[in-house]
Amino acid sequence: MAELQLQNVSKTYGTFEAVKDVSLAIEDGEFAVFVGPSGCGKSTLLRLIAGLDPVSAGTVAIGDKDMTARQAGERPVAMVFQSYALYPHMSVFENIAFPLQMERRSKADIREQVAKAAATVQLTTRLQDKPNKLSGGQRQRVAIARAIVRKPEIFLMDEPLSNLDAALRMEMRSELTQLHKRLGSTMVYVTHDQLEAMTMADRIVVLNAGKVEQVGKPMDLYHRPANLFVAGFIGSPPMNFLAAKVTGLEGGTVLLEVPGVGQVALPGDASGFTVGGDATIGIRPEAIATAAPTEPALSLSITPRTVERLGLHTIVYGEQGGRTLTALFNGDPVIAADAPLGVYVPLQQIHLFDAAGQARGHRD
Amino acid sequence: MALQSSTALARRPQSFTQNWSAYAFLTPALIILFLSLLLPAAATVVMSLTDISFLRPTNFVWFDNYIKLVSDSRFRQAVGNTAYYTVGVTLPTMALGLLAAVALNGKLRGRIVFRTIFYLPVLTSLIAAAVVWMYVYEPYSGPINGTLTQLGLPPQPWLQSPNLAMTSLIVMAIWRDFGTAMIIYLAGLQDIPKDIYEAARLDGAKTKDIFFRITVPMLSNVTFYLMIILIVQTFQVFGAIYVMTNGGPLGSTETIVFQMYQTAFGYTEFGYAAAMSTVLFLAILLFSIIGTKIMRRGES
Repeated sequence: MAELQLQNVSKTYGTFEAVKDVSLAIEDGEFAVFVGPSGCGKSTLLRLIAGLDPVSAGTVAIGDKDMTARQAGERPVAMVFQSYALYPHMSVFENIAFPLQMERRSKADIREQVAKAAATVQLTTRLQDKPNKLSGGQRQRVAIARAIVRKPEIFLMDEPLSNLDAALRMEMRSELTQLHKRLGSTMVYVTHDQLEAMTMADRIVVLNAGKVEQVGKPMDLYHRPANLFVAGFIGSPPMNFLAAKVTGLEGGTVLLEVPGVGQVALPGDASGFTVGGDATIGIRPEAIATAAPTEPALSLSITPRTVERLGLHTIVYGEQGGRTLTALFNGDPVIAADAPLGVYVPLQQIHLFDAAGQARGHRD
Repeated sequence: MALQSSTALARRPQSFTQNWSAYAFLTPALIILFLSLLLPAAATVVMSLTDISFLRPTNFVWFDNYIKLVSDSRFRQAVGNTAYYTVGVTLPTMALGLLAAVALNGKLRGRIVFRTIFYLPVLTSLIAAAVVWMYVYEPYSGPINGTLTQLGLPPQPWLQSPNLAMTSLIVMAIWRDFGTAMIIYLAGLQDIPKDIYEAARLDGAKTKDIFFRITVPMLSNVTFYLMIILIVQTFQVFGAIYVMTNGGPLGSTETIVFQMYQTAFGYTEFGYAAAMSTVLFLAILLFSIIGTKIMRRGES
């Protein structure tokens, strides 16, 4: 086990910059999740750590050793692929044994290590089967066992659950978290699914267009997103954004005119704003309530157009001032479609972003 | 109950009247197949049981032609020559085809040009290629012997020596066929997911391990397919031998099909030639069945 250090890492393909000057430290034993939309560079970054692609600039260090010039097989890492990447002509035993055979270990040692890894992922009874006889979840377990058997300092996982159905994904999410706790290894996990990131990560690295947007614990990213991108990406359903104009700055308060809402005064860092300039306010769907809170709140009227009842929650897509607002209510409240509905948003829960999209009034 | 009977109905083969249009469309192809393939094949088997020749009235001799084949030393030599040619062509063609495919499957500069160059011999007319190779093997003015002489080595009678003629034909056949093997292997290689190679690299596999532990086993179906088509093709070699050596010297390049041709059209022993043809057909059929079974087992 070891920490991972990325220093000014960049990767370019011709003129396309897939990863731009990323510097990052992942601590020993940490479960770090790289999350971002398709094409944001998260898998490329993982491949650079694995040594599958060379960096265009910067350094990759594991522990206190510079790994930048080392080939894939020479780095103390193991990777689990989205496609599982099992060797289809080999049995489960042979698949798990392959890395050990490459290390020229003795047959007795290989048998022992494979048995241990197979027991860890509950595959002891399937060792003689070929991968095509296994279910998706079992194949993924073989891939994990093949990674475990190498005893790597860092586990790299490239969207390992994407090919599984929803139920199995949930089960495997929990299994991977348990496995991380058991092994205590450093894990770097790539996903485009913010739910996976939120539920599994010790720390999340949000990537967008090859750059790190924010690094932090899941709840920090949720409560204190650094910018519009993170605010929109973390959380489901995503945050509502309302365009606003700055009408005044009074000490620690920013006065805003929000079309369709009216005057709003929010506490925030006034240095990022100019009077007459643009701003954006962000409201999480779950911050919207039908009952008036005791604290100061913004009052709105929305006209529900679609009501999705999920049992535990109800999601309402409503029209407000010519735009669509998403609201999430607990349980199954009585909400009539197409009839105006008065809702409230506590001011304390409204996020404020400047014209450049940077957060200027962190909420809790 | 209703569901059961409808399922049973769906599984039952449809009757001729329900499928008459499908049979109608198939009929022209079936007629051509029957006239051009099945009828001559059946006629060959019947002929092999006779002593049909232009020289005498035809009589049924039943299995006499087959009994004669067993004790015919010339036929045995042709079988040996054919086996030597088949093994000599098939194995190196596959090995070279695989190596070329692996080399040209990567990001090698000019790989498209190399692929085209290696495949060109396949597209060349056999007779034209044979004539060119006769010049290449020419004992006095050919480029091979010219090079040997310049290197101070003795020139060789490539097509004139019973020891060298068959090997010389094999070399030409490899040159001509390995492009086919390369293309088929290339298609097989492109079917192997990139992730598997990357996983192997991460597992610490070196180039040699990846080739022997991943590439070769994952191409086993392609290899069997290629082996079968090359065996079937080389079993029937005729054109190059007819043009370049005419079976000589001293019968050293006489293969089964060449001998069959000579027996039929040289000595007008059609019945005996038909027996040879039937034996060859059965051998090819046997190889095809074995190959198909192995491939199916691999797939499952």
